[in-house]
This record gives sequence, C-alpha cells and structure tokens, in this order.
Amino acid sequence: MNYIVDILLIAISAALVNNFVLYYFVGICPFIGVSRRVDMAFGMGCAVTFVISIAAILSWSITVFVLAPGALVTKWAAGFFVSAQEAAQIDLTILCYLVYIFAIASAVQFVEMYVRKFFPPLYKSFGVFLPLITTNCAILFACLTIMSKVVGVDNPADAWDLGRSLTLAVFGGVGFTIAIVIMAGIREELDLCDIPKPFKGPAITMIVAGILAMAFMGFTGVDSGLKNALTPPAQEDVQK
Amino acid sequence: MILVAIGLSAVTLLVMAMVMSYILGWANNAFHVEVDPRVDATMKVLPGANCGGCGFVGCGDYAEAVVAGKAAVNKCTVGGESVAKDIGNIMGIEVGASFPYRPIVHCGAHYDERLGRHEYRGEMRCAAANLVAGVQGCTYGCLGIGDCTRACKFDAIHVVNGLAKVDYDKCVGCGACAEVCPRNIITITPFKAGWMMAVACANKDAGKDVTAVCTVGCIGCKACERTAKNYFKVVDNLSTINYDAYNASEECYMDLAAACKKCPRSRLVFVGHPTAKDLAAVADKELPEVVMADFKTTVDDTEWRG
Repeated sequence: MNYIVDILLIAISAALVNNFVLYYFVGICPFIGVSRRVDMAFGMGCAVTFVISIAAILSWSITVFVLAPGALVTKWAAGFFVSAQEAAQIDLTILCYLVYIFAIASAVQFVEMYVRKFFPPLYKSFGVFLPLITTNCAILFACLTIMSKVVGVDNPADAWDLGRSLTLAVFGGVGFTIAIVIMAGIREELDLCDIPKPFKGPAITMIVAGILAMAFMGFTGVDSGLKNALTPPAQEDVQK
Repeated sequence: MILVAIGLSAVTLLVMAMVMSYILGWANNAFHVEVDPRVDATMKVLPGANCGGCGFVGCGDYAEAVVAGKAAVNKCTVGGESVAKDIGNIMGIEVGASFPYRPIVHCGAHYDERLGRHEYRGEMRCAAANLVAGVQGCTYGCLGIGDCTRACKFDAIHVVNGLAKVDYDKCVGCGACAEVCPRNIITITPFKAGWMMAVACANKDAGKDVTAVCTVGCIGCKACERTAKNYFKVVDNLSTINYDAYNASEECYMDLAAACKKCPRSRLVFVGHPTAKDLAAVADKELPEVVMADFKTTVDDTEWRG
C-alpha cells in the first residue's frame, strides 16, 4: 500500500506539481521550438516520453550496478586490486554526465533503427523528432534526478528502485506532453490574434510561457495534501 | 585506490563504447532498410525549399513519390525546367516542355477605383473580411488586406494601394497565395513567355452591376472576343484567355495587342517580365503600362481600434 501511494505521489508530482518544463525549466528548446502546431507538439511529447523512459531504465541500471559507491560490478572489478573494504568505497558517480549522454544517445539510435525497420508508420509520425531529443536537457535532468535519489540518500532503504524511477520518467514525459500541447494550442490561437507589434513573435511566446508556468504554480501543495490524505495518521495505527 | 578508481572509470567507458558500438553495428545490418538510391539522388537535385508547391509535404516526400511513380517529374515549381530535366535523367524519363507556373492576380482595382467600400474594423484578415457583407461593393475582387502576403514564404506578393501585386523577381510559383485567397482570384498559370497577358478582373456580374461597384472592372462587352477569337472567350460576363492557344509567337502578340487596344476598360494587362524578344515583338504597339510595385502599405488604411 505504501509503495503504491509513493508511486502515485511521484507520478502526480512529476506530471503536474514539479512539471519539468514549467517548474524546473528544462527542455525549453523543444517547448518553444516545436510548439507551433498541436499535432507536432503531441508527436514531440510522445517521443520525449518514450526516450525518457528508456533513458530512465538505462541510467538507473548503470547507476545501481556501476556508478554508485559499492555498486556490484565496480566492487567486483576493484576487488582484484584493492581490499574489499576499499573496493566498496570506490565512487564513479563523477562519470554520470558522460555515461548518461553516451547511453541515451546509443539507445535512441538503436530504437530509431528498430522503429524504422519494423514500424514504418510510427517512424514517419515521430521518427524525425528522435534525433532531436537525444540529449535533450529534460532527459538528462530525469537521469540526474534518478541518480540523486539512488546515490544521494542517507538511508539505503530510501533509495529508489526501478519502478519509482520509471514512474518519474514516464510521468515527467507526460507532464512535458501536457505543457507542450497546451502551449501549442495557445500559440495556434495566438496566430489569429491582433498582437501589438512589439510583442509579436518570440516576445509573446515568452510571456505566454511565463504565464503558463505561473498557472502551474497553482498545483503547488497538491502532492503533500494528497500524501496526508492517503497515508493514515500515525495515531490511528497506535490505537489499533 | 585513486589509481584504481581512475582505471575503473576508463574501463567503464571503454566497455560501454565497445558494447554500444557492437550493438549499433549489429543493428545497422540487422535493421537495414533498403532505400532506393534514386530517392537520395532526387533529393540532391531538388531545391530543398520545402514550399509544398508540388502538392507534397516537402521535398523529401515529393522525391519518394516521384521514385514510387506516384508523381510526375516536373511538379517542382521552384526548380522549374532544369530540375525536371535532372529528375527525368535520374528516373530515365524524357521530359517534355514544361513552363514555370506563376500566380496571376485577377483583379485590377486599387482603392480609388473600387466603389461602395466601407470602413472595416474587424480582424485584419481577408478570410474574415470576406465573411462580412459590404466591406466593398465588388464581391469578387481583391480585399487588399494581404492574406497572400502573409502566406508567401518568399516575400513575393505585396498589397499595393489595396491590390495584391506579385513580385515576379522573387516568386517561385509555389501556389501558397492562390490557396489562401478566400476569393480565389489568384490563379497559378503556366508562363509560356516571360510576359503574359492576363484578365485583371474576376467579376462575373453583368456590365451594369460591375460599373456600379468598380470603375475598371470587366463588363463582358466581348470586344476582345471579336478582335482575337482564338485567344479570348467571354464566359459569365467575364473575359477569359485560352492559355492553351497562347504562345510567344509574334502573331499571337499582334492579336493580343489589338484586343488590348479594343478593351474599353483596359482590363487586359501584361504581367511578369518582358524579355528582350518580347519587347521587340511589341515595340511599335500601344500597350497598357505595367504598374510597378512601390511597397508602401501592406494593410488597409482603416485602423484597428478595438
């Protein structure tokens, strides 16, 4: 039960409350660049969600098995050269940027080839976006967040498992899709509006993005409120 | 211990590089998609403007359609004859004569020549103004708000004193302006010569009704039809030019020039670029002047006041 609540909270927090684009301001370039038409924006959102999920699985595995202090593979390899105690302390997390970008780029390339061969219609609809988002900052941000949740925790029991990481990634992608589709809808309407000349083009887009970000601030506290509602108070447990 | 960590970092990256390159190399072979080399070759020949003038999404889409045999090789309006020839070489097809297609605006009235025009304070779009009755008397002619100007990716059409004017220097013939015009007064016409005669009116009403809304519109008097029967035909009170019969020969110019002179409303105008040969052919004839564009105003002189 606790696990499900946790997953739910991570999902809502990633999609709405701490929206990648509108709260953390990562992935701004596709947010501004590909938000001219709703169908294109939706394609981009789907592609990002897809890539971010693959990236999360890869980065979680790499972090847990190779990069983290005392990770399985590293400990075993270092065990040949130093004592077991020292081997458990070797920390390769400094490599994170390099390794993540590397893994994401290769995985996206692989997926692109696979989709092109076996799902040509799918490739036609969002294949063109895949290379664009290979090293999108939203995706790297998701990887780094997952790393901080796996490595940076004080209590090893709190470290995120694959399920939590994947939830963050998928719903981060969903949040990105929501944001970019709303933006594209507004921009399609903006094309028909009589905008004062100084605000035309990028200026009004920035203003709209800012207002959208402020609107999303309205979700602040939804996650903690939900957490209080879903987890029974401690006293009740005692009474039972 | 530090040395071990450095060594392990290097080994980690090395192993990843090896694994990834092996997988990608294998995938490249296993998932290889056969792409017709002619598609690439066609792509290289095409101008890459992605204007959509051929009726496909972009140059890539058109190249695929051509190679698949779904499209003719001479559809690229930007590249014109030379590109059609190159694609024909790639596809092994002989290309017949193809002409550049260019828009012609079938309206010749500027603000002062249009009657019954009222102040329009709605959204500054032809598409919107076209929905409102009484913006101007003529329900066929150019509204002069410039949807075509906004649609043009090549800055080749402007509104000059209330009338859309094509800049044939810049125009590539993609047809975006013709598509967006709510009154369908822009036609994409094969330019068989650098200089083409056109009927600068689209009003299909009877002569009396035309004179009520416009001081220059075609009244369907059939003077042109009587003078040059081969080239003109009056359909629905409106003169039309038979562009199939039209050619760049001298006899054709003689007939056209005669019709031009006869037209009481001076609605037969030449558009496009006169070449040296064209000018020589009509040097001694009296022709209506081609109005040159002076790009001053792009919108109606009535202003938006909310």
